[in-house]
Amino acid sequence: MKRALPLLAIALLLFATLSACQPSTPEEEVAPEEPVATEEVVTEEETEPEAPTTTRTGAWVDEVVVVEEPNADAGVTRLEAGDIDVYAFPISSAGTYATILETEGIDYKTSFGSFNELTFNPSQCADTGRLNPFAVPRIREAMNYLVDRQYIVDEIMGGLGTPRWVPINTASADRGRLAAEIRAIEAQYAHDADMAAEMVAEEMEALGATLEADQWVYEGEPVELIGIIRTEDERTQIGDYFANQLETLGFTVRRDYKTSAEAAPIWQQSDPTECQFHYYTGGWVATSINRDAGSNFNFYYTPSGLPRPLWQAYTPVEAFADVSQRLYDNDFATMEERQQLFATALPLAMEDSVRVWLLDRSSVAPLREEIQVASDLSGSIYGTILWPYTLRREGEEGGSVTWASASILTEPWNPVAGTNWIYDTALIRATGEWSYVIDPNTGLAWPSRIESLEVTAQEGLPVTKSLDWVTLGFEPEITVPDDAWVDWDAEAQTFLTASEVYTETETALMRTVATYPADLFETVKWHDGSPFSVGDMIMALIMTFDQAKEASPIFDEAQVPALQSFQSTFKGIRITSMDPVTVEYYTDNWALDAENAIGNLNTLWPYYGYGQAPWHMIALGVLAEQEGLAAFSADKATANTVEQFSYIAGPTLEILANTLTEATAAGTLPYSATLGMYVDAEEIAARYENYSQWYADREHFWVGTGPLMLREAFPVEGTVVLERNPDYPDASDRWAMFSAPQIAVATIDGPARVTPGEAATFDVFVEYEGEPYATDDIETVSYLVFDATNQLVAQGDATAVGDGVWSVELGSDVTTGLEAGSNRIEVVVVSKLVALPSLASYDFVTAP
Amino acid sequence: MSQERRTLEGTIDVDEQDVATVSRQARSATTLRLIRYTVLRLIALFFTVVVGVYLTILIANMGGYVDEIRKAQIRSNIDLAASEDPALKLMPPEERLEILQERVALAEKRYGLDQPFFVRSFRYLRDALTLNLGFAEQLTSDSGSKQVRLVITERLPSTLVLFATSNFLLFFVAIFAALGLSRRYGSRWDKVTMAMAPTSAAPAWFYGLFLILIFAGIFRVLPFGGMVDAPPPEDPLAFALSVAKHMVLPVLATLMAAVFLSTYNWRTFFLIFSSEDYVDMAKAKGLTNKMIERRYVLRPTLPNIITSFALTLISLWLGAIILETVFNWPGLGRLYYRAIGLYDTPVIVAVTVVYAYLLGFTVFLLDFVYAIVDPRVRVGQGGAGQ
Repeated sequence: MKRALPLLAIALLLFATLSACQPSTPEEEVAPEEPVATEEVVTEEETEPEAPTTTRTGAWVDEVVVVEEPNADAGVTRLEAGDIDVYAFPISSAGTYATILETEGIDYKTSFGSFNELTFNPSQCADTGRLNPFAVPRIREAMNYLVDRQYIVDEIMGGLGTPRWVPINTASADRGRLAAEIRAIEAQYAHDADMAAEMVAEEMEALGATLEADQWVYEGEPVELIGIIRTEDERTQIGDYFANQLETLGFTVRRDYKTSAEAAPIWQQSDPTECQFHYYTGGWVATSINRDAGSNFNFYYTPSGLPRPLWQAYTPVEAFADVSQRLYDNDFATMEERQQLFATALPLAMEDSVRVWLLDRSSVAPLREEIQVASDLSGSIYGTILWPYTLRREGEEGGSVTWASASILTEPWNPVAGTNWIYDTALIRATGEWSYVIDPNTGLAWPSRIESLEVTAQEGLPVTKSLDWVTLGFEPEITVPDDAWVDWDAEAQTFLTASEVYTETETALMRTVATYPADLFETVKWHDGSPFSVGDMIMALIMTFDQAKEASPIFDEAQVPALQSFQSTFKGIRITSMDPVTVEYYTDNWALDAENAIGNLNTLWPYYGYGQAPWHMIALGVLAEQEGLAAFSADKATANTVEQFSYIAGPTLEILANTLTEATAAGTLPYSATLGMYVDAEEIAARYENYSQWYADREHFWVGTGPLMLREAFPVEGTVVLERNPDYPDASDRWAMFSAPQIAVATIDGPARVTPGEAATFDVFVEYEGEPYATDDIETVSYLVFDATNQLVAQGDATAVGDGVWSVELGSDVTTGLEAGSNRIEVVVVSKLVALPSLASYDFVTAP
Repeated sequence: MSQERRTLEGTIDVDEQDVATVSRQARSATTLRLIRYTVLRLIALFFTVVVGVYLTILIANMGGYVDEIRKAQIRSNIDLAASEDPALKLMPPEERLEILQERVALAEKRYGLDQPFFVRSFRYLRDALTLNLGFAEQLTSDSGSKQVRLVITERLPSTLVLFATSNFLLFFVAIFAALGLSRRYGSRWDKVTMAMAPTSAAPAWFYGLFLILIFAGIFRVLPFGGMVDAPPPEDPLAFALSVAKHMVLPVLATLMAAVFLSTYNWRTFFLIFSSEDYVDMAKAKGLTNKMIERRYVLRPTLPNIITSFALTLISLWLGAIILETVFNWPGLGRLYYRAIGLYDTPVIVAVTVVYAYLLGFTVFLLDFVYAIVDPRVRVGQGGAGQ
């Protein structure tokens, strides 16, 4: 018996363990939703997507289970095993990328959000015995010839990248607009180590250095360069590669390997004249598709870029400084003039070269091949607001998808000043919605909740529009009306109007008029069941000001700079109609694209900096912060040694729950002097009751109007469960058109041999997934002709022949100038649907 | 010893009062010795804790250089945020620079960087020694709290459940297996254990990788990692079973990495004690093996076993960084690793000071435990337990 007991115990343990190893059954079946008839809220017929193919609304899936998987390789293995469906993290490791390519059943989404360069110290060393060759612009320029960007992309990055020469991202609107100019620079600065050596030798000798036994020597000492080489990623190999190249030129290189934290005090903060470094392997990240790269020259090449010692050492030539400033100030009247400024700035940037651009990194976010989801060309899957709308198993409606993230619940969730980590933001965005969405392929905005937007710009501003849903007009002067709200009186808790604040008539550079659909308050509901109301919109505007006002009971010093920044361009806002809700907004902050004049603030849409929220959700935080129990921002929480609000977990839930109980009992409405005009006692009671019930059911306070709702967060276990919002009004396929970027594939066909002096015609075929690319969806197809010496001899635009077919005709005047030998024609296709130009080239020979 | 007893016995008839006095004096001397020893020992241990914690503060802050790193990070973050702020872009450069400097100053103040590190280092020390753990500078707890106490205690249960299970299992399996082997010296199992001992050269996470590959990747019968299924079951029993399922591989990895070497060590240790003269004497007297084991082998080795057990117990506080990472286990090890990476001094110091106190208390306690379990040991005679 004594022996039998342990055996029995072991058997029971084994049984229990094996039982637990069985696939867990769902806790409950999700009942199929009744089909809900919905109406689209956009007005322009041509902006409508294809006819609805489903009666389902909101998210395609019933549930998204979010888990944490910090290791990318493990993520791929789990994808292969079917343990997860999406690994929502852009991977840049060549080894992991190779595994993804080799693994059956795994697809991936490519993004181009980060880029690498070499940052040079352009200062002379204070120690006159030390020489800094990179203080000479021509030596820096020579580095463009020295580095073989294609080698870096192919051998170091394993193909995960695109060579880059200029300060304009591959996935950006300006990359398409300037495709021909950029291609010409790429050809001019193609890898040529001999050219680099020659340029460096000339300049070094001019500096007084001598080449002795293949070593540059200055004042009897070898010229030593210090490279700060980052260690976290492939920049280690890039830094080593560049050091090797410098050594082949005759420099002695000291390689100083450092992490980001260790390197920052040196390259950013040290006095450049101390020459603590000569080059640094820099890296940058773009989280969304850049629609306007006009400020890049100013930021990367001039002292105005940043108030840091390194930037203050920049001394661009006057012409470059002028053109950079003009682009920064948008000092141009037309897009053609802007194009010309870029064409001037680009070569000057190459001659300056305080930075040598190396590559745009490609990153891949792997997912199972049966999963469909939109992905932002810059921000990847988790960077697009459209992921919850487009995520589905191909051909299926409903079901569950497991989404793995490198991190989860990183910081507290609160809509006013909560977590800003992309891992959290991606989930927060899914539970909320903006009044618009961003096309993940072009960066252009589309209306989501608003019905129309009229944009009026001051005459002379080069504002354009690409899509028909927005109305664009110009006026000589845009006056801010007297009754527009322009500021907030935190003591009286009322808005101040233009007539109260401005001493004379105020003007703005742009006005937007956003109109909502008439049934807005019937169709849109918060997750707790409360109908959307104008009170939600007013609360959002109040919170824009109140926290940063010293007289406010929730004054937060950390919010002051943001308000200062906002008020430097904000001119006024007013609601001109309540049925339908119409919002007029005046500002000096304008964008080149009229579509992107839309924002949550100028449409009074209650999406705060860090999440969407109804007024009653904000009210609880405001009331509790007034009592000093917790704070929205980390800064204020730290300063007052209290907790920062988290609406989903942790000790502040109890604070919020108690506040809710008290507010319900007293019918408290913060900012009642203003908010009370829009929210009545009935709404207050109903809102608090709904919210109490929500908390009782879910044990958290996070609500939005988005397609997914937060069912539960498990902080320690690292799991979040999101479920479909059954009340979401829009059809599930509304944004299906953005599921995959329509990246054009271009090919060229034409004569293999061209006779100088005779015209030649080349056909350009533009396709997407084997189908012709519609001519209407193409912005431009431009061509460049390079002769046998790789010199650009001609460029121009192709002519549309039909959908997917374009023609390039090289006149006899062009072919006459071609030298005998192998020439090349290249085309650059710029699509209206994707901010990623497509390239193709074709070699032909010229012979008399 | 017997000489002294005879002498005392000889004086009993002469003066009982003297004997009582001598006895009282002896007890009093013992008590005084014990108190003196306790006080000195506590002072020494406290001094060690103070030095250890202050050194940790200095090292965690690289002697103050972390301030420079953090200042650079603050500037970098603010600069990048500003570069994406269109409103700032439209400001005159001077005004823009002024706003950026204000933001930098605000952030530096928030992190206390407006005070010299030397001053802050003593504040860290004072708070640590009084166990005023305060608020973290960078980290938040999983549920979003900044209180260091919560940051740590939220991870404590998951750490304890995994490492207590695996370490205690390892400890007792090794002890009992070693006892068995010491009885069967030179047997086949003894040779196998000796042969397998070098497998402990590889750490537990190394075995973990293979176990994951085999049982999760290929056979798909056990999870890749994590502590519980996603979403976690609501039923407590189902939850417990799910946790048990997730513990199988990490516990197995821990056992595989250490069980043979640990058994080998204990077995050698027991063998040494088994060859003592008094054991041979016991055998000659015909005592049973179990009795010999309990009285003559286990008892003299108890101080070592207790020490090992106590240190195993307090080592749970530290978790295991790589094993937790491999198995994606939400334990304290990963938390500490993040704290170190973020230079979060309050968290680092809190972990250190609690461990230091635990260690100091354990060492202090062990001195007395030794005296209780081993009659050869006297507290306070010539320092620590003899």
